Amino acid sequence: MRPLTLSRLLLQCAILGAILFCVMVIALKFGAVHVSLYGLGRDLLRVFMGKNTEISSDYSLILNLRLPRILLSVIVGASLSVAGTSFQALLRNPLADPYVLGVSSGAAVGAILALLLEPHLALSPEIASVFTPLGGFLGAAVAITAVYFLGRREGRIDSSTLLLGGVITASLLSAVIILLLNTMPSSNVRGMAYWLMGELSAVPSKPLAWVLRVGFLVAAAVIYATSSDLNLLLSGEKEAMHLGVDVRRVRLVVYIAASALTGLAVAVSGSIGYVGLLVPHVMRMIFGADHRILIPASAFGGAIVLVMADTLARTIAAPSELPVGAITAIAGAPLFIYLLRRRLA
Amino acid sequence: MKIYVASAFKRSTIFGATLCFAFGVAQLRANQSTGSAPAKESFRTVQDETGRNIRVPVPVRRVVSLAPSLTESLYALGMEDLLVGDTDYCDYPPAAMKKHKVGGATNPSLEEIAALKPDIVLVTKSLNRLETVQQLDRLGIAAYATDPHTIDEIRSSVRRLAEVLGNPAAGEALDANLLQQESLLRKKLQNAAPKRVLFVVWTDPLISIGKHTFIADALTHAGAASVVESSQDWPQMSLEEMVRLQPEFLVFASGHSEAVSRDVEALAKRPGWDALEAVKHRKFAVISDAVNRPAPRLFSAIDELARQLHPEVFNEKNEASRVSAPAEKN
Amino acid sequence: MTAGTRSASSRNAADASRAANEPRLSVEQVSYAYAPNPQQAPIFTLEATSFQARAGEVVAILGPNASGKSTLLQIISGALQPLSGRVLLNGFVTHELEPRIRGQRIAMVQQESQLLFPSKAWEFVMQGRHPYGKSLRFETEDDVLIARNALAQVGAEHLSDRWMDQISGGEKQRVILARALAQQPLLLLLDEPTLHLDIGAQVDLLDTLQRLARENRYSVVVVTHELNLVGEYADQVVLLQKGKCLRVGAPSSVYQRDLLEQVFQTQLSVEMGSNGRPRVNILSGSS
Repeated sequence: MRPLTLSRLLLQCAILGAILFCVMVIALKFGAVHVSLYGLGRDLLRVFMGKNTEISSDYSLILNLRLPRILLSVIVGASLSVAGTSFQALLRNPLADPYVLGVSSGAAVGAILALLLEPHLALSPEIASVFTPLGGFLGAAVAITAVYFLGRREGRIDSSTLLLGGVITASLLSAVIILLLNTMPSSNVRGMAYWLMGELSAVPSKPLAWVLRVGFLVAAAVIYATSSDLNLLLSGEKEAMHLGVDVRRVRLVVYIAASALTGLAVAVSGSIGYVGLLVPHVMRMIFGADHRILIPASAFGGAIVLVMADTLARTIAAPSELPVGAITAIAGAPLFIYLLRRRLA
Repeated sequence: MKIYVASAFKRSTIFGATLCFAFGVAQLRANQSTGSAPAKESFRTVQDETGRNIRVPVPVRRVVSLAPSLTESLYALGMEDLLVGDTDYCDYPPAAMKKHKVGGATNPSLEEIAALKPDIVLVTKSLNRLETVQQLDRLGIAAYATDPHTIDEIRSSVRRLAEVLGNPAAGEALDANLLQQESLLRKKLQNAAPKRVLFVVWTDPLISIGKHTFIADALTHAGAASVVESSQDWPQMSLEEMVRLQPEFLVFASGHSEAVSRDVEALAKRPGWDALEAVKHRKFAVISDAVNRPAPRLFSAIDELARQLHPEVFNEKNEASRVSAPAEKN
Repeated sequence: MTAGTRSASSRNAADASRAANEPRLSVEQVSYAYAPNPQQAPIFTLEATSFQARAGEVVAILGPNASGKSTLLQIISGALQPLSGRVLLNGFVTHELEPRIRGQRIAMVQQESQLLFPSKAWEFVMQGRHPYGKSLRFETEDDVLIARNALAQVGAEHLSDRWMDQISGGEKQRVILARALAQQPLLLLLDEPTLHLDIGAQVDLLDTLQRLARENRYSVVVVTHELNLVGEYADQVVLLQKGKCLRVGAPSSVYQRDLLEQVFQTQLSVEMGSNGRPRVNILSGSS
């Protein structure tokens, strides 16, 4: 009998964090410009000490371009994985991924509408750069609300109805997307094609990046606070209720927080697939189904996976860049099939 | 021994937040650095063709082109020495293939572009993505966008480009040249009735060009009129509608005219297509794919097309026509 | 007594300080109805029912299928709000208790639980400690002790490290019971616990329940249709038929032949055993 203790949890998180750090350092090394880690370290130190002008131009390139992109991968990967873990618990379905409730389709519709609207509004450059992500996030919010109301039965969220409502909404929105894409001017269509595949090359502006970071921390913390409750929910709702879980409150809170995580991630980077589906699975195989360790493990795991995928996307077809969603799909689909067969065996 | 979870949780959250904050600060300060522009340069502000105000350094020494049409224009202007990088698809003239490649037009590598330290990056609205332009803005690299929709706009666009890059004389010379070519052709065609044509981009599904595109305008200059009235750029047409409209000619843009005549032979055997008079009588024209790029080479393509559609006006050059019609000619 | 049962015995002291005869559980005229759709008149699944239970007592809710037994149990547990009447546990209305507090006082043992991901028996039993901490909590040494103790009390300590999906039905039932015990409740509710068990296991279970009730001063309410088990082990019987409560009392007073025949629709005979407990014999053949 060895229950999870805080020290064991922190140790496992520290190990995962160390792996993430190594992966990030490796990712920093790859790209168009040659990087020596010694030089990078030296320049980072200079930045900290305020001697900005002494940095070589190469490393300013790295710090301005590659590092924000890697940080974005970390946040998006972590957001998608935590959202995936939460939805799998919420819907009591190990095949759930963050998009199953129509969040990404809603975000896509919102982003397309924003792209359509933008030329007709005179926007300042700061607002213009966040206009599309904002549209995406609003679209996601609308989709989430619609699915929530579709998924209620007798005033409470019911897993299977929710799932059905989500699938229906997602397919309806996909049809809307195809319709919109057909009537859009072609220059915007190109942009949407990349967005739909999921890509991380559009590094967000400062304010948006802060919104992302804060949003992730808040939503992830909220979800983490319900970990013990989620563990019990997996045994069944009635049982969880009899064991003192306020099922209704927990479901609502997790639903909103996980949707917010997904909405933020999708608004910034399009719909990157397989991360939210597979990382929770793999982490569950390694760490078990206890959400108190599973949620942080998923966060780290998703960050690691996405940083690696993005590095590949940046370097495999150099100098072109592939959309990162293509990499995750190519790697993720066979892995998914393998896991599925293992589960059935 | 009870572990006070709440405070431990708080502590680790604060720790994590501090880490992120530190990282963020480092990034913030890094962004403030200007390690890449030590020299004292002067700048001027120009407006590009989408209405954006661009700060261009004076003089311009290093240019990256993100569109094949813009690369072609640079070569046509004789300013190719300024070009330090272009896209994978910049293949004309052949010398352009030797320039440093920065990726595709829609998905270039920003790192490659930035590593080349360009003074200005050339983009065009019909090909490049807004996200790329926004990224360049954020990096402080000037991005100049062209957006020509007609033949006249292509000419003036190239001239303005030369002016922006600091060599207005080259622009004016090229402009005069192209204008002369154009007015010569117009004189020849002034008495010829425009031929009704269908410009075929793709056969399955049938995709043509919209009336607001520069290709449609090019057709007009070549003594043709596109039968397609759509406002979309690449409208998908129904074959029935084409049969109803019965264009006189089909126009294909391709580098290989033999392949096209094979394709037309194949089309003639397909139901629906064989109802088109132009297919039945093998009335089609093939021009170089230069027509797809809004660049100076387009003018030669227009010339080429005019010769095929109105051979009677070009009597002295009749044998150069490329209409291959194994069946009866009309 | 080990550390874990210290809090139970402190509660016992509180109990004892009350008037010794005051009932711990008081079910007062509860009824329940629901309307399948808004146009139709509501159907009564349970009509006004009352009974009381003391600490250390085993109460059986007896009746054939669709008699409203499970509804009554759900109302007692506080999960369902009665249409009329109320349920008091030590003076508190169960439905109005906060879920956490309710989890500390009432433990429900339902039939087979559907585990989504496999877990070990001790993890499962630890879930019973959930009502005793804040939302995000790590188990303390006390919790571990209580869980181990609970497993021992149902004779399942050897199952502690086994996976839940790899043990037999009877063993699983015991682990589920252990989880309920880990909650250290005042009231223990069981919904048809003998359904999938063989006869030996059934007797074992009822025996354990009676022992636990006496030793740990639980009030136990069991829903079942097993006439002889009830006759042998229950202190009180609540007899239901089609939502109506026909009689409440000790088995010897409730087990009247014509009453039982009317309720269960078969011919039977009732005889008194030497220990004062009734025994029912089902007479085979058509009525």
